[in-house]
Amino acid sequence: MIGDPAALMAPVDASEQEIARLRRQLGLDRPFAEQFATYFGSLIRGDFGQSLWQDRPALTVVLEALPATVLLTLVGLVFAGLGGSLLGVLAGARPESALDRSVNFLSITALSVPNFWLGLLLIVIFAVKLGALPTSGFASWQSLILPAGALAIIHGARVFQLVRSATFEEMTKPYALVARSKGLPERLILWKHILRNTAVTMLTTIGWEYVRMMGGAAFAIEVVFAWPGIGQLMINAASRQDFPVLQAAVIIAGAFVIVTNGAVDLLYRCLDTRIRAA
Amino acid sequence: MEKLSDGVAESGGLNGLLQDFINPSLRRFLSWGLVIWVGYLLAVTFFALTGSDLAPYDPAAQQVLARLLPPFSSSSRGFHWLGTDQLGRDLLSNMIAGARLTLFIGLISNVIGMAIGVCLGMLAGYYGGAVDRFVMRLSEAQTAMPMFLVAIFFLTVLGPTVLNVVIILPTLIWPAFARMVRAETLRLRSCLFVEAAVATGATDWTVLWSNILPNMAPRIAVLAVIELGHVMLAEAGLSFLGVGVQPPATTWGLLIARGRTYLAVAWWLAIMPGIMLGLTVLALNMLSRRFAVTSGSAA
Repeated sequence: MIGDPAALMAPVDASEQEIARLRRQLGLDRPFAEQFATYFGSLIRGDFGQSLWQDRPALTVVLEALPATVLLTLVGLVFAGLGGSLLGVLAGARPESALDRSVNFLSITALSVPNFWLGLLLIVIFAVKLGALPTSGFASWQSLILPAGALAIIHGARVFQLVRSATFEEMTKPYALVARSKGLPERLILWKHILRNTAVTMLTTIGWEYVRMMGGAAFAIEVVFAWPGIGQLMINAASRQDFPVLQAAVIIAGAFVIVTNGAVDLLYRCLDTRIRAA
Repeated sequence: MEKLSDGVAESGGLNGLLQDFINPSLRRFLSWGLVIWVGYLLAVTFFALTGSDLAPYDPAAQQVLARLLPPFSSSSRGFHWLGTDQLGRDLLSNMIAGARLTLFIGLISNVIGMAIGVCLGMLAGYYGGAVDRFVMRLSEAQTAMPMFLVAIFFLTVLGPTVLNVVIILPTLIWPAFARMVRAETLRLRSCLFVEAAVATGATDWTVLWSNILPNMAPRIAVLAVIELGHVMLAEAGLSFLGVGVQPPATTWGLLIARGRTYLAVAWWLAIMPGIMLGLTVLALNMLSRRFAVTSGSAA
């Protein structure tokens, strides 16, 4: 273990004895194995320990920050899913068209830059240069636009890539050829027959993107925009060596990831009857 | 062809079909594009090898009178292509100096992750049974966990050093290699030439090393190029959040983090290093797409 939370918490001019008292009070003077056993023992009983910094239960601190994170990620996900799917279907239906080529290049670019950098770029353009939108914090619904926009661009780009190649693949399948040769209008083929088959890919892709967001992608964005969610909390806890809060945040976010993973798997089975039959 | 490489790589057979739809001038243009991307990557690699020797100025040299100069401006010291930071240090020189550690961490982590993934994947695919189940469960369990959060946690507890970053990053990418290599090994194991090698009395080691591995090397290379981009983005993320590389060492991710404080007065400090990193990852992505098509790895 590197670092000593007690030394960080104590006032700058605290004496050696005062730091030692603080350490004893927090239980940090016990052997490592004993601290570990105590922690896991109480974890099973749903007790994540006290925040070293705020002197409140760590779980309460994390759960207070959770709604902001859920709001941000869900809004980002809705826009990523809608935008990515729509553009993906349109581009996949007309490969090599101007739309396909431009959006495809933009999406590869979006997937090549760090997401927090994209957030900073949006701040520079829309807040610093244009002065149109608030940069940070959570004051009104307008403060949601930039962080959710940054998330939507990055995650929408991956949704676009997968939906596009799925649509393209479906277009070359025999049933599409049959529909075309019996004279169905192209629009009907795309939005009724093709879409029904790509919908499974769409929904699972969007589920996977939620996993990516809660697995860390959204947290860097929260830090950039000073969004009062779990990511911001985690980084503050890390710099203050507030281990109980950090642990609780990782466990709660991890639970989100694992539950979403399971839900996507179940959804996939329910939607695709071919898998159920197999 | 270039544009739908990912779709084509999976469905095979469509290569020829698509080729007919792309006119020759477009294809020439695309290969010119490739030359530019490869040239950019070579330039970055060259900077990483020569380090700050080639930079216009000493990256650490401060100049109080030339603080926060915008790009394309000059100070008493000379011309600053990308401006200067809050201490008057030349930004371009710092970015060139940062190329070394950025690429070093990316490449080393990538090679370690690839070595682990390829070894475990080959063992799982070749021997099957309990080995296979163990490796696959391990990679599934890891994919289900938020590994980036776990990385933040471990770097906070163990300390944010370059060594710890290089230990943590490979754990993010090895499952991708293991899954692909396992599937390929399963496919190659039933090929006639492998059966022939086994029949002539080749040991398991010989079969794996000289019969199976060379036949999937192109696919591993394509994946390695993609994952190098992922690893570099992950390192930048960790350094940006303050749990990765620490100053005075420099990486592009760290330069972005440092420039963030001055976003309102000097946007170039955070934006420029991000452009350099983004272009590098973009070049890797373009290269891997092109490589996936031309090497016919759809096979």
